[in-house]
Amino acid sequence: MKIGKVSTWRHPMVAIGIALMVVLMAELLVYTWCRVQYVRIGYEITEATKEHQRLAELYRRLKVEEASLRSPERIMRIAQQRGLVMPDSKQVRVIP
Amino acid sequence: MRIGRSKKPNPLKWVRFRIIIVGAVLGVCFALVVARAFQLQVVEGRQLQSKAEDRYTKAFCNTSKRGTIYDRNHTELALSLDVESICADPTKISSPKQIARPLARALNLKQASLSKKLRSGRSFVYVKRQVNPAKVSAVRALKLDGIGFRTESRRFYPLKSLAAQVIGFCGTDGNGLEGLEFRYDAYLKGRESSGTIIKDALGRSFAGESSSEGKPGYNLILNLDKNIQYIAEEALSEGVRKSRARSGIALVIVPSTGAILAVAHVPRFNPNAFGQYERWLWRNRALTDSFEPGSTFKILLVAAALESGMCTPDSEFYCEEGAYRVGRNVVHDTHPHETLSLRDIVKYSSNIGAAKVGKKVGPAYLHHKLEEFGLGEKSGIDCPGETPGSLLPVGSWTEIDAATICFGQGVSLSALQLGVAVSTVANGGLMMKPYLVQKIADIQGHTIKSFEPTLLRRVISRENARRLTRMMMRTVEEEDGTGVKAAVRGYHVAGKTGTAQKADPAAGGYAAGKYVASFVGFAPAENPEIVVLVAIDEPQEEHYGGVVSAPVFRRIVRETLRYLKVPPEVVTPEHADPHFNSPQKDIRRGPEEPLRVSNEEPKMG
Repeated sequence: MKIGKVSTWRHPMVAIGIALMVVLMAELLVYTWCRVQYVRIGYEITEATKEHQRLAELYRRLKVEEASLRSPERIMRIAQQRGLVMPDSKQVRVIP
Repeated sequence: MRIGRSKKPNPLKWVRFRIIIVGAVLGVCFALVVARAFQLQVVEGRQLQSKAEDRYTKAFCNTSKRGTIYDRNHTELALSLDVESICADPTKISSPKQIARPLARALNLKQASLSKKLRSGRSFVYVKRQVNPAKVSAVRALKLDGIGFRTESRRFYPLKSLAAQVIGFCGTDGNGLEGLEFRYDAYLKGRESSGTIIKDALGRSFAGESSSEGKPGYNLILNLDKNIQYIAEEALSEGVRKSRARSGIALVIVPSTGAILAVAHVPRFNPNAFGQYERWLWRNRALTDSFEPGSTFKILLVAAALESGMCTPDSEFYCEEGAYRVGRNVVHDTHPHETLSLRDIVKYSSNIGAAKVGKKVGPAYLHHKLEEFGLGEKSGIDCPGETPGSLLPVGSWTEIDAATICFGQGVSLSALQLGVAVSTVANGGLMMKPYLVQKIADIQGHTIKSFEPTLLRRVISRENARRLTRMMMRTVEEEDGTGVKAAVRGYHVAGKTGTAQKADPAAGGYAAGKYVASFVGFAPAENPEIVVLVAIDEPQEEHYGGVVSAPVFRRIVRETLRYLKVPPEVVTPEHADPHFNSPQKDIRRGPEEPLRVSNEEPKMG
């Protein structure tokens, strides 16, 4: 009986089968890991895209605000409130 | 022996039998699995796949951002922002009336019309588009069934009315409707993206696949300068307000390139709320509307006269002491003159002198030169709706036409055409194509299309341009010139006033008391940086171009040259510059001549 058992485990087909199973199991695990990573990175990309869009939109809104604040009409109004006037040609010194 | 032998079952045989049975059962099971798999994967595969995809994928279509419009210093003149629109799915609304009441209150809508919309039975209706964030938050707080939100792009014009007629505006759907927004719509619009997005059980999206890649719109970089535009608009507003005029136009052009730095219109409109303004205010009237230019046209006449070789600045013409009969009509000068040289005809703006110059040059040559100055054809500026103006074929000119055209009546052109023609003189006789857009660039700033200054043709010689410039300088700089109010301390200015009666298309002839007062010129005269044209329509207080438009011109030139850091070229002591202190007195001494033709037989229908 002992001899028979030994001979079963040492049978080449069994060894190949076990090796195949190990490989398949490993592949399954790797595949599952890849799928999990794919989903996780998918979420991260979606979040990053949303954040990018949010920041781009914020940037555009700030640009609108900046353009409004730098409008010549507003600057002129503030300048006039502070008593600033346009220089006369006599007040201009040209530096060569 | 045979009977006595007990029949012992063969264990190996039994094992084999059991293996066969188990194998057969497993085989059948496997076959069933394969068959089912075949059915699911092959027979019903597509149908089932689409069913599954419906549950975890969602189609999307994103409109791309419209490109930004910048001035030449890269200040945003028009850009798009995301705003929310409120929509509804009436099929999911069980009680439209109950939903409509709070919704109408939150959005300031009429409840009856909103209820009607919610009862429409369609699967999608807009409740209100492009709503401000506070109202969106108020509607969200109501948590109404069947009411949704959709992000859309909305065009904003941060500088409000500044250059509104040039930039134009977009409709609710983001299509350009007027001005550069309309002209460059194909570039600004971009391409929308579409595809599918995968969603998990909680509805969170985590991956997507694009079937068509989106592309943001290209940006436009203009030649307009927001500061010069502001200077022009403010000066023009003041001029229109003071003269209680109907409207006004001002242009600032760089003569050496044809670049347009400012196109000002009064009254203005705010493109952020264009619907609240009358439609005629939307137009870029500087190039869509034509007018009879009056005496500013004499610049072109004198250019033709010099170029013909038949006249010099010293050529003399008898000005009939104020009344000159042409056929059955009589042309008048406001102030009678005996004999005037060509340069004095420009300075005093004598209509009779101009008519005689035109007669000497001859209609055919004059017509030819006017065509070369761009009359009767579009300048080709990159803005929609340009008028070619009106220049009658020389064959149909009557005797009085040939006379009146010489002082700018019986011919019409846009403010832009007149500005470009005078730019030609300022540029030494070379005509440049006017242009508003200098560059089209993508979102990273890479140039997609670049617009360079374009030389159209040489219209007059450099020498004649210089002679004409000197004549125009006398109009402004000599005390009895008609344009003294346009003088700018520190700079030599060349210019010409114009006062034209407006045609009355309904009654025929000219409308009584309705004038276009204009002034066109350039500075510094010897080395021009800018050409400025001011045209004020129907001024009420005074109607002379030298009184109404010249001060506007002066303010624009003074502030623009200062802004452009053009150093003063002449030191003008205050005591030696009398017309700064008493301009009214100077103007009274020499107003330019408005049209005065005795209509013994009305010539215009």
